[in-house]
Amino acid sequence: MAQVHLRNLIKAYGALQVVHAINLDIADGEFVVLVGPSGCGKSTTLRMIAGLEDISGGEIAIGERVVNDLPPRDRNISMVFQNYALYPHMTVRENLGFSLKIAKRPQADIDVAVNKAADILSLTPLMDRRPAALSGGQRQRVAMGRAIVRHPEVFLFDEPLSNLDAKLRTQMRVEIKKLHQRLGSTIVYVTHDQVEAMTLADRIVIMRDGHIEQVGTPIEVFDNPVNTFVATFIGSPPMNLLEGRVDQGAVVLTDGSRLPIPPRYTAAQGAAVTYGIRADNIMPVGHALPAGDHIATVDMAVTLSEPLGTETLLFAELAGTEVQAKMLNPRPVRGRETMTFQIALDKCHLFDAATGSALRRA
Amino acid sequence: MASNQSHRMRRRGLKIAHFIGLFLAMSVICIPGLWIVLNSFRPTVEIMAKPPVWIPNDLNLDHYRAMFGAVGEGGVPVLTYFRNSLIISVTSTVIAILIGMAGGYAFARYRFKGKAAIFIALMVTRAVPGVALSLPLFIIYARVGLIDTHIGMIVTYVAMNVPFTIWLIDGFFRQVPRELAEAAEIDGCTRWQAFWRVEFPVARSGIASAGIFAFLTSWNEYALASQLTRSVTSKTMPVGLLDFTSEFTLNWGGMCALAVLMIIPALVLTFLVQKHLIAGLTFGGVKG
Amino acid sequence: MKLGKFPPWLALLMPAIVLLAAVVLVPLVLSFYSSFTSYKLTKPDTLYNWIGTFNYQKAAGDIYFWTAFGRTVLLLTVALNLEMVLGLGLALMVSKVTRGQRLLRTMMMFPMMFSPILVGFQFKFIFNDNVGLVNNTLQSLGLTTTAIPWLVDAHLAMFSIISAEIWTSTSVFAILILAGLYAMPQDPLEAAKVDGCTPLQSFRFVTLPFLMPFIYIAMAIRSLDVARAYDIVQIMTNGGPARRTELLWTLIGRTGYVDAKMGYANAMGYISILLAIFFTVYFFRKLTAARAELGMAL
Repeated sequence: MAQVHLRNLIKAYGALQVVHAINLDIADGEFVVLVGPSGCGKSTTLRMIAGLEDISGGEIAIGERVVNDLPPRDRNISMVFQNYALYPHMTVRENLGFSLKIAKRPQADIDVAVNKAADILSLTPLMDRRPAALSGGQRQRVAMGRAIVRHPEVFLFDEPLSNLDAKLRTQMRVEIKKLHQRLGSTIVYVTHDQVEAMTLADRIVIMRDGHIEQVGTPIEVFDNPVNTFVATFIGSPPMNLLEGRVDQGAVVLTDGSRLPIPPRYTAAQGAAVTYGIRADNIMPVGHALPAGDHIATVDMAVTLSEPLGTETLLFAELAGTEVQAKMLNPRPVRGRETMTFQIALDKCHLFDAATGSALRRA
Repeated sequence: MASNQSHRMRRRGLKIAHFIGLFLAMSVICIPGLWIVLNSFRPTVEIMAKPPVWIPNDLNLDHYRAMFGAVGEGGVPVLTYFRNSLIISVTSTVIAILIGMAGGYAFARYRFKGKAAIFIALMVTRAVPGVALSLPLFIIYARVGLIDTHIGMIVTYVAMNVPFTIWLIDGFFRQVPRELAEAAEIDGCTRWQAFWRVEFPVARSGIASAGIFAFLTSWNEYALASQLTRSVTSKTMPVGLLDFTSEFTLNWGGMCALAVLMIIPALVLTFLVQKHLIAGLTFGGVKG
Repeated sequence: MKLGKFPPWLALLMPAIVLLAAVVLVPLVLSFYSSFTSYKLTKPDTLYNWIGTFNYQKAAGDIYFWTAFGRTVLLLTVALNLEMVLGLGLALMVSKVTRGQRLLRTMMMFPMMFSPILVGFQFKFIFNDNVGLVNNTLQSLGLTTTAIPWLVDAHLAMFSIISAEIWTSTSVFAILILAGLYAMPQDPLEAAKVDGCTPLQSFRFVTLPFLMPFIYIAMAIRSLDVARAYDIVQIMTNGGPARRTELLWTLIGRTGYVDAKMGYANAMGYISILLAIFFTVYFFRKLTAARAELGMAL
């Protein structure tokens, strides 16, 4: 097992730079998820760690060893690919044992390792099939099995669940998490799905346009997003953002309504700001009280409601912006009903309107 | 660190080896052809010079002039050969494509018993060596009076090209989703209209390249043509090449000029077809 | 389906079947028949002179026939295998190029446009012992002073013929294998790298199995028109000098047209046809098997 260090890591294709000098230290046994929208450089970063992409600048170390120019086979890693990358001409058993066969391990050892991996992932009845005869979920498990068999220092996952249907994805997510607990190995996992990131990660690395925006535990990045990008990317539904201007300890929205500055934030008089409220923290009066001491109230006309069973998602309009709110213990909502909402100010956020950065109190 | 270094060195070494290998391969591929083009511009004396003249010092169009003026040695009627080649190749290609389209469509769209066997049987007809086929064909054509006629050559070349054309076109039609024709039929087309208005246009460029391939085969064929054509009325250019040889001498320069004339249309057409040809063969073959 | 009407697929295939029956099947039946007669071109009546399997017995006991047969099989084996290996190498090199690949691809197809007869003349010229490109080059570089008899010595002549054959046909392999390389999914290759393969091992265990169907397609296509080599050989040596490069096809051609012994030529022709059909069917079988192995038969 080993740590992974990225130091000023750069990837450029000619003049086009796609990863901008990022730094990241991943501890031994840590499950780190790189998350971001497509094109943010997360996959490229992972592929550089794997050695599948050349490094344009900076350094990658696995354990204490700088691996910049080492081919993948000398890095002691294994990888699960988005499209599984199973060898089509080999049976499941051959696929699983391939890396050990290449490493010229005795057949008896290979059999033990392969059977153990097959057991962990319940692949035993499928061992003599070829990939073409497997379902998506089964292929996915073979791909994971192939990674396990090698006993690598670092596991790399490149969007491994994105080709599965929703139900299977949830199931495999649990399997991966169990696998990590069982093997205790270092995992770097790339996904564009923030739910996967939140549920799996010890630490989340949020990337955008080749930069790291924020690194932290799932709770940290959820509770304290450093900017509007992280705020809207993490959490579902995305955080509501309202434009306004600071006036005497409050934010004046475009329609003139006022919201107090959230307790954990500060902003100069007259500054242009963005007010952030998650749907969980704005609720109609009488439908569960938002936590915390500081409460504000607003009236909004509800334009649409989405019943989800235990809760109903309400779409309403505030200062010309569509706002999503949650109603616990739901009741039927009439069309365009005006309701009074309570906002839990302790959980609200304030960002600089120009830069998007959080205006946290020092 | 040391192993990082050595990996970098090895990568550079491989790059250089790759470049040299590619250069050598491309030289071997190109030189024989360029040699012909060059010689078509050189006087025979210089081609035959001993010791060799490496740097040409007298390039001219004499061989071309002689060829088109039909006043050169032997007075080879090149333009007539060119015309024969063109008539035979174009006509046989058009017919081969029509027949190939029908056959290819049948293989791509219908399921029937013995499909694989019929397919291989058709392909195998192409495997019959030209020489072996030319003997009985010669006998029959002599009986029915098709020897030394355009018709005789056209029929022969259509038969020669149909199997391969079917293979290619089958591949192209397979790439056209069946739903497309079904949608057209639901929109009110007959099967026939669905074919001509929807499936054919989609597969058109592929069919065109199958056509070019058939054209090239007819254009370059020799084994059959050399037996089934006898005189100026139907001799094609590959057969005409032999006019530049006599018992003991070879007019290299004149031959090279005719060769260039043969290659130019082939060159242009191959250039047009290359992309589709690859696609057709692989789709037809692999996804079959 | 209406009564008395063909199923549509048969109607569509009819023109092809009728034509091939007329131009290939009927002549083959005729040649099969005439191979049991003493048919001579010069004496049309001999077509009805039934002599049973005499021609076949004659061929079976004819040392020239068997040498030509053996040489043909040898030539095909050597040429096809070399073409496959060289084509594979060429395709791999071209696929690794980052810039100017389209140009290289076009250049690679260059030899395919040459009429085989032209290739024959071209290589006859190149290997000419007196003024040929090869000897001129060797002599100018001072590697040899003698004129090497490329087309006269038995071994060298076979070498020259094989060179010409390889020059024309390697591109068929290269292009189809290149198509295979383009179609190949990249991630199994990356997985192999991560799994610890050296580039050579990745090639051996991942790339090559994937390319096999493409190689078999190329083999099948090549075996369809492998007799094109006849044109080349006929021009370069015409089986000579003194039968040193005699192949089945040149032997058949000479027996039929020069010696006018059509019956005998047809008997030998039949054997060469069976040989060609055997190769073709063999490679089609291989192709189907390789396809099934990769799970490609969708």
